[in-house]
Amino acid sequence: MRIENMWKPVLALLIAITLWEIAVKLLQIEVWVLPAPSVIAKEMFIVFPAIFPHMLATIKLVFIGFSSAIVLGISVATMLHILPTAREIVMPFLVISQNIPTIVLAPLLMIWFGLGDFPKYLIIATTAFFPIAIATLDGFRQTERDLMHYMQMMGATKKQIFLRLQLPDAIPSIFSGIKIAATYSVMTAVVAEWLGAQKGIGVFMTLSASSYRTPRVFVAIVITIILSLAFFGLFLALEKWFTRWKRNEGVQ
Amino acid sequence: MRIVLKYLALLSLVFLLTGCQTKEGNEKVQLFLDWTPNTNHTGIYVAKEKGFFEEVGLDVEIMLPGEVCAEQIVGSGKGQFGISFQNQVTQARSEDLPIVSIAAIIQKNTGGYYTPKAKGIKTPKDFEGHKYGAYGSELEKASLQAVMNKEGGDASKIETVQVGNTDYFVALERDIDFVSIFYAWTGIEGEIRDADMHFIKTTDFAPELDTYSPLIITNDKMIEDNPDTVQAFINAVYKGYEFAIDNPQKSADILIAAEPDLQPELVRRSQEWLSPHYKEGAEAWGVQEASRWENFAEFMVKHQIIGEVDIQQAFTNEFIANAMK
Repeated sequence: MRIENMWKPVLALLIAITLWEIAVKLLQIEVWVLPAPSVIAKEMFIVFPAIFPHMLATIKLVFIGFSSAIVLGISVATMLHILPTAREIVMPFLVISQNIPTIVLAPLLMIWFGLGDFPKYLIIATTAFFPIAIATLDGFRQTERDLMHYMQMMGATKKQIFLRLQLPDAIPSIFSGIKIAATYSVMTAVVAEWLGAQKGIGVFMTLSASSYRTPRVFVAIVITIILSLAFFGLFLALEKWFTRWKRNEGVQ
Repeated sequence: MRIVLKYLALLSLVFLLTGCQTKEGNEKVQLFLDWTPNTNHTGIYVAKEKGFFEEVGLDVEIMLPGEVCAEQIVGSGKGQFGISFQNQVTQARSEDLPIVSIAAIIQKNTGGYYTPKAKGIKTPKDFEGHKYGAYGSELEKASLQAVMNKEGGDASKIETVQVGNTDYFVALERDIDFVSIFYAWTGIEGEIRDADMHFIKTTDFAPELDTYSPLIITNDKMIEDNPDTVQAFINAVYKGYEFAIDNPQKSADILIAAEPDLQPELVRRSQEWLSPHYKEGAEAWGVQEASRWENFAEFMVKHQIIGEVDIQQAFTNEFIANAMK
């Protein structure tokens, strides 16, 4: 989206926040049921020093978990692409693996691997891995046939075709997978922390909820959203940078 | 059009069904548990299964909690009654949740810290340098410090990890050194599993933490608008716990029959252990002392867990007093 067009969603958001504020004031909704945006903003200001270390912990989780997901997703997809038989065998299991609810898997992983960071990386990586792998596989298959024939005619090896044609052609596809995964990886991290951690937004959320401090729960939600957006934005920027040759094509 | 008719038919059926249930004229109320059903709740199950609720014209539905707190459901009026704890009621009240404790289920705090003997923790002083598996409350750190004060320990030297819903015994076998439990349930389970455990009772070291845990809550609005319903509920529950005090085995069987997923041996042994504790030292089951509420609220304010609180609004003996008559 262009910067000039940003004002529309921003305006919509402002209107929604204003309506929320007015509704809470008019209906006299108790703070612990639904705090007004102004209360949340004030609370954010007050608790920011306290929540900051939690934020760092979550960011670290997401970064490590998500980068492993990218590496894993692309390498597994490449392997499955090169070995069609493996693909036939593994595919159903990949789909099945996505049907295990995190809320059930997380406590089990913590039993198997302890309460450190490792099981949390695993949770983030396993949930983010799937869209990346699937999108990458699709990307490999969408190579232009003509170009492929052309390269084959010129006597290019399989390796050359893959590295020079299929892989670069798949980049936009890979990025759509990464972007989908990026949108919910922060949330996954928060849920994972919620089920057992020393620090993190999820821990902050549990503590706030157990002491009925609803404004703080909302602060945690807002921070989760901001982190998700920032993360999404990061990959949007990376995508632009990686696909700059595509945009220049027309000009050349 | 046809679809609309279909839904109308379905709706009327639903109304008919709900109509049937209230035909006897029993008022429907919901009670939200704090945790999975256990021997803390026996009196309620007894009142339900032995028809004490019916006698007073109530139809009580026992609801299991998800991740939502009973305090919030009851406070918002979405539920009429709930099981909670003195620390949670105090905390909730300080955040303006309109909930009120109407009966103490157990007079003494049977909680404490639980650790495998192999970890070498003998007294609270030994907590230093060990890993504590927290259930997730801001009170925990203050409680640890309170327990350690007697021997001059420093709670900031404890590493705290939230373990959430992880099985305690599993957590203790992994990287956690000690957790906080209620002896009546997890402690008895340890006995059954023959686990080599050491239990450090909280109130042995910090008498100021002797809270009513658990207790029964309702909200301000119920007391104001439907005091008769609250009274009826307490009358029935009072009878239920009196029965559980006098008949541990029979009441355990009632709980097992109502919740067949529970381990029968655990329920029976826990019930036997707990029955004499329900009204230990009090003039009757359910009675709450103002001083204990005041002292504990003071403790929470002192440790900056809560701001200020009008603790007199957090509990009432009104209904228990009537039930005793």
